Amino acid sequence: MEKKIAVYICTGCGIGDALDIDALSKVAKGEFKVPICKTDGQLCGPEGVALIKQDIENDGVDTVVIAGCSARVNYDVFKFGSDKIVERVNLREQVIWCHTADDEDTQMLAEDYMRMGLVKQKNMNVPEPYHVESFSRNIMVLGGGLTGLTAALESAKAGYSTILVEKEAELGGYVGKMYKQVPMKPPFTDLEENCIPNLVKAVEDAGVKIYKSATVENTAGAPGMFDVTIKQDDGTVQERVGAIVLATGAKPYEADKLGHLGFGKFPNVITQSMFEEMAVAGTPEASKVAFIQCAGSRDQEHLPYCSAACCIESIKQALYVKEKNDEANVYVYYKDIRSNGQYEHFYMKAQQEGVVFVKGDVTEITEEDGKLTIEADDKTMGTTSLADEFDYVVLANGMVPTAALGDLMEEESTTDEAAAACDEPKASTPPIIKANLLNLVYRQGPELPALKYGFPDSHYICFPYETRRTGIYAAGVVRAPMDMLSAVEDGAGAAMKAIQCVEVTEKGEAVHPRSGDMSFPEFNMNRCTQCKRCTEECPFGAINEDEKGNPLPNPSRCRRCGTCMGACPERIISFKNYSVPMVGNMVKAIEMPEEDEEKPRILIFACDNDAIPALDMAGINHMQYNSWVRIIPLRCLGSLNLVWINDAMGRGFDGVLLMGCKHGDDYQCHFMKGSELAEIRLSKISETLDRLGLESERVRATTVSIMDYDKIPAMLDEFAADLEELGPNPMKDFQ
Amino acid sequence: MVTPDKERAAEQAVPHSFKKKRGDNYFMEQKKIFSEPVKYDLTFAREIYRLENGSYIKQCMNCGLCTVSCATRDVMEYPPRQLFNLIKLGKKEEVLTSNTFWSCTSCCTCKARCPRGIPIIDVMHDLKKYAIEYGYTDYPQAAFYKAFWTEMSSRGKMFEGGMTARYFLTRGLDEIVKAMDMKDVGISMLKHGRMPLLPPKKIKGLGGLKKIISKAQELDRKEAAR
Repeated sequence: MEKKIAVYICTGCGIGDALDIDALSKVAKGEFKVPICKTDGQLCGPEGVALIKQDIENDGVDTVVIAGCSARVNYDVFKFGSDKIVERVNLREQVIWCHTADDEDTQMLAEDYMRMGLVKQKNMNVPEPYHVESFSRNIMVLGGGLTGLTAALESAKAGYSTILVEKEAELGGYVGKMYKQVPMKPPFTDLEENCIPNLVKAVEDAGVKIYKSATVENTAGAPGMFDVTIKQDDGTVQERVGAIVLATGAKPYEADKLGHLGFGKFPNVITQSMFEEMAVAGTPEASKVAFIQCAGSRDQEHLPYCSAACCIESIKQALYVKEKNDEANVYVYYKDIRSNGQYEHFYMKAQQEGVVFVKGDVTEITEEDGKLTIEADDKTMGTTSLADEFDYVVLANGMVPTAALGDLMEEESTTDEAAAACDEPKASTPPIIKANLLNLVYRQGPELPALKYGFPDSHYICFPYETRRTGIYAAGVVRAPMDMLSAVEDGAGAAMKAIQCVEVTEKGEAVHPRSGDMSFPEFNMNRCTQCKRCTEECPFGAINEDEKGNPLPNPSRCRRCGTCMGACPERIISFKNYSVPMVGNMVKAIEMPEEDEEKPRILIFACDNDAIPALDMAGINHMQYNSWVRIIPLRCLGSLNLVWINDAMGRGFDGVLLMGCKHGDDYQCHFMKGSELAEIRLSKISETLDRLGLESERVRATTVSIMDYDKIPAMLDEFAADLEELGPNPMKDFQ
Repeated sequence: MVTPDKERAAEQAVPHSFKKKRGDNYFMEQKKIFSEPVKYDLTFAREIYRLENGSYIKQCMNCGLCTVSCATRDVMEYPPRQLFNLIKLGKKEEVLTSNTFWSCTSCCTCKARCPRGIPIIDVMHDLKKYAIEYGYTDYPQAAFYKAFWTEMSSRGKMFEGGMTARYFLTRGLDEIVKAMDMKDVGISMLKHGRMPLLPPKKIKGLGGLKKIISKAQELDRKEAAR
């Protein structure tokens, strides 16, 4: 069906003063023969919006191109229903606010953006949502500890039928076995009764379906249609669920490895959990007890990270001793007391109770007649301190996530083909540890990819709970070391994420970060060469494979980043509103001045998530930059297809710049490794460029975060200066 | 562990001018105070905890904000947090013979800044009182406090000459010799009328003041008895 296009040019916010609007209208009316092209003084005002709505109603307009402000603002104003295509041409933030007014170059830039916008909408179609067959709204929580119980309770209270799977015979997990718990409410100073019995009762009353002594044999499918096989003593049960919360918790670090602190050597050197057991049985009368913090944690030879909960757990146990015997001497040896948030009050309470806190490293523990002696480097006094006559020494031995307990998944056996592929640079693949938790039937491996130290991947600031497997949300100490209060918050948070996932999947929309996106990749299987690049490079493991190596997409697992689209050498993967030809045609739509006009052109592929906002911010701050640049937003740099760069260089662009997010260990890429993949692909193109006689310096990749907006002008000017030194692209003459 | 080598390296790493400005005691933290291993013994600490503001000491978390805020830290033998730790170590002699609390000028900066809300200057006052009570008065500041107090309570007004005389008399002959070094200051003060030669008149209603003082002392005794 032919599209009925209308172009609206806003002259507000100074656009009308800085640009020749008539010439701009001529581009739409003349070059592109757009039937409706109108201007308005304030398009986002009620009259402007009414104008557009009127044309939609009277003239059957179904494609609206709005030339005015950035697509990052007023998106709620320019909303005309899901069956209309709305394309925004950014004349404000990226043209008039950062380039000279009434200038030839600025006018050319605006006209090029108008052409790009018009070409873009030509290649766009209205996305049709993908609907999962026999969709399930159920939520499964794996792990019945504090986090898992909270998640199950929250999800059940929100009206979702919830399934809880617990490995042990009783619910409660590690916290369930505690004598008393750390304070969970103001004033955060007093020991509290264990909350687990009440929580278990609440979960049972809320109608959560509970499987005890059960493990997950395998998890197949995708969000909205996970098929989970649950193994119990008496056979297996199949459950279909929509989303999964992984709350399998952590295990205490193996104390046997702490021989240097006397564990195993002296019977009265015990671990926190052992002391907890003793407390449940009735705290033994003790007149002198020492707690040693960071026993294994923050130690390169053991656990390099801080286990986050041990400080306040030790303080709690110190108060057990004081509760029983007020006159008892209790010492806590610490590196730093990390009593996060409100737990500072709890720390102070212990100090008030007379617990002595010694800042220092324990150097030696010895025993005589059943009494222990501790020698330590006292950091406050700058000397050695000695303390003897201890009845017990309790080691705060930290925690290891259950996701880290298991063997590392081996790489696939190297065949000749694979060996050949090894020569090519490849993106780093996150390790997968066979921890026997989810047993995913995914091509990419049975568990969630691990981040540092074996915690399942999750960007702790931007997207907590999100893992690299859509629909599976990690919460509690399996995700990151944390105290009880944070674990409760985590359980609720992950349950909300799971609910969100179920809701949007039902509508056929993407989950975070492209929330609301209805498009998904479609594969033209006729031309597939079974190269497996899409299945390997998909950061979310959305694509499975059949025996022949054909990709089997799972649209509800997809985050719509387009990494597969960028990876495909045959270019058979496209979205309804985002495709290789679409961006390719946008590149071709940019007018290329002749060499003697001395107007170089720089093409920028900028990531939608950080680089585009940063460029907009540069505009908002009215920072001036080079007007030779033409910016094309990409969903993620991972969707960069090399053919675009080939096209651009062939058309005579003097340089191409890729602006993506930071990658590596502290990545900021919203799709985990998009910018990394783009850089790897780029390394392949430099060879081609060299062959064509073009300098490989003409194509560059850079990383910007949203806060780097002030560095953008310098970045672009520097690149332009370098290009000027290289001289114009010789390909210009062949046009 | 801070080895002597490391300590030296740390000191060398700091520019000389800075070192000089801060005074030698700035590097106190790195210096070994005791060659023998120390032992925590709360007997003395419990006695201090019973002072009016004593129990606040328990709350110290060793952040060091008091030390960096202190105007007289350069002359202090131990920074406040170390002093508190010495109390926990039961080092009664070291604590009571130290000049730390005597050097406190009650400027209140540390008290205002302490993240744990310890009223450090009040703790220092308590320690001064405690030290005097147990006869640890062999300090110029202690003598100065005494001289000041006697002068004020007997006259209700300050007589600089009288106080100076009292101070040097309590400190002994050696100090008088030393005091000669300060004669220029004294002469200068005389010239400017800052130090009258003759004692000023007593205030009106000195009896009333004395009543106030004795009442306060009575209250204090009651407080202590409780």
